[in-house]
Amino acid sequence: MDPIPATSPKHLHISTPTDTTLVLLRAFNAPLRLVWEAMFTPDKMRRWMLPPPGWTLTSCQCEPRVGGALEVAWKSDEADPAMTLRGRFTEVVLHERAVHTETMALGSGQEIGSLLEKHEFAEEGGVTTVRITQTYDLKEARDGAIASGMDEGMEACYQQLDAVLANRG
Amino acid sequence: MVLDRSPRLDVVFHALAHPARRAIIRQLSGGECNLSELAAPLKMTFPAATKHVRVLEHARLVRRRVAGRQHFCRLEAAPLKEAMLWTESFRQSWEARFEALDSLLDEMSSEEPSRARRR
Repeated sequence: MDPIPATSPKHLHISTPTDTTLVLLRAFNAPLRLVWEAMFTPDKMRRWMLPPPGWTLTSCQCEPRVGGALEVAWKSDEADPAMTLRGRFTEVVLHERAVHTETMALGSGQEIGSLLEKHEFAEEGGVTTVRITQTYDLKEARDGAIASGMDEGMEACYQQLDAVLANRG
Repeated sequence: MVLDRSPRLDVVFHALAHPARRAIIRQLSGGECNLSELAAPLKMTFPAATKHVRVLEHARLVRRRVAGRQHFCRLEAAPLKEAMLWTESFRQSWEARFEALDSLLDEMSSEEPSRARRR
């Protein structure tokens, strides 16, 4: 396994080392133990797993042990649930590494993507670096995930794109 | 939030999801080329290259004009720019999450000494 490269806090590095992987690298000004706790404890996850505007996180379950479940659900004004994330931890080394599967589905139950997510942690001098590697089944799935980044600009962006493309017909 | 309602963007990402088509885009970023010029560096047959160009045309990433027996291809940058913008929105959503995590960790760190005292 590659060593986690050093990085300065507050800067997010995103890379796509292979056609089906996406790597997020970020450092935090906090001891590893606290970063682990913040990332894998449901009442802490609620604080930072920000939903898109108008959405609310309704349930959050996370058991970071082999076979443990990961389940998150969101609701919107139109649907409850609007989206769910379900997975299982396949590998856990406390304060070092955690791997889980993850399947996202719409409220209707329609699955919109599956991936394997690996979290790796390293601490030096009170700064903790986290490397998240997402592995998708297909390159198209990875690109689709990038394309469906959850943010408020999304709908506007689609509309703008549709308009731009429509003018070219 | 829209996850499944942009067939147009799907088409753009599908078009970008092949190394030969990305190579064509790279080559066209240097200027207009005819089909044989595009096929040559790809070590592809003319019909194979044409197939990839069609996919790019369908995504409106490439525009083709015919002059006599020559087919010239030109890059249409707008959809590509939109796709990049999109990638940028992925970054922004993760940045926002990690900034929220920074604040949470500050809070947790400042609670640490009092937690230790209680023990």
